[in-house]
Amino acid sequence: MAGIFKRFLGKFFRNLFKKKKDIKLGLYGPPNGGKTTLANKICQDWLGEDMGSVSNVAHETREIQIKEEITIKHKGRELKFNLVDTPGIATRIDYEEFIKEGMKEKEAKERAKEATKGVIDSIKWLDDMDAVIVVLDSTKDPYTQVNITIIGNLEARNIPVLLVGNKVDLKKSDLKKMQAAFPQYELIGISAKFGKNMDDFYETLFKITK
Amino acid sequence: MYGDASNKIIEGCTCGGKLFFYIKKSALEKRENEEQIILSKKDKEQIEKDVYDILGPQIDTEKPIVLDLESIKIKKPGKYELDLVNLFKGQPLVYKLEEGKYVIDVVESFSRSKDKE
Repeated sequence: MAGIFKRFLGKFFRNLFKKKKDIKLGLYGPPNGGKTTLANKICQDWLGEDMGSVSNVAHETREIQIKEEITIKHKGRELKFNLVDTPGIATRIDYEEFIKEGMKEKEAKERAKEATKGVIDSIKWLDDMDAVIVVLDSTKDPYTQVNITIIGNLEARNIPVLLVGNKVDLKKSDLKKMQAAFPQYELIGISAKFGKNMDDFYETLFKITK
Repeated sequence: MYGDASNKIIEGCTCGGKLFFYIKKSALEKRENEEQIILSKKDKEQIEKDVYDILGPQIDTEKPIVLDLESIKIKKPGKYELDLVNLFKGQPLVYKLEEGKYVIDVVESFSRSKDKE
């Protein structure tokens, strides 16, 4: 009994001191939406360094990456957070897709295994997030099981969401369709690669994390 | 395949395996109509190794593990299908091999790994 009480107190005080101090901001979405490109853009803007490597081959990020104590300043305000870049969430991971991209079979199977573990880890970490940036490729159909499941679960957990439609620099980008799919959230269209519309992005980030 | 309360589940399979999964009657009937995937012994061993790799070192490979839900299907090494709805619910993580051949509870492993953090 004393043990339970001690653990409760410990947790209570940890949570008390955790508040406001280290906001965890997660980047979530399907593979190849541009989560790491956006993470790199944020880190470059405020720390002058990259966060992780990017690739055209899906599931480049297969482990949770954390960049601690990023402080962004915008219009006289300041926001401090830990940025958590997560592996892309998918319903199907097939090593043959990696072989098509030029990988050897053994490497492709290893990547598939790591990507699967990555999905599990991403989901596991969701409850630890104080706010989430959902990064979707605005050139792709937004009505997918992955997108709907991620957003539905964030809503159910009452986690503040910033919905980002990435790759607006591409002709096929369709923000209207994306906004129609998720009308409950304000959508910010950006190009993380070219740094387009980042001011609006940071402005909205302040809104959802206040 | 062993029936309910079989000693083999406690002692381990005659093949030496200690990883079991529970198949509901309804699932078994459904599977009879599905395409059967034939895996070689090497493929089976590889999948088992992959699953233990994904789960991490906290899983005791010596203890029999029996579970029932399917959150992750492994059709063959490197081919995974994930049931996101179950995964987000935090329900036991189950790996299906072949006709749903093996399964692992990751809720337990999650809580253990979280305690370590």
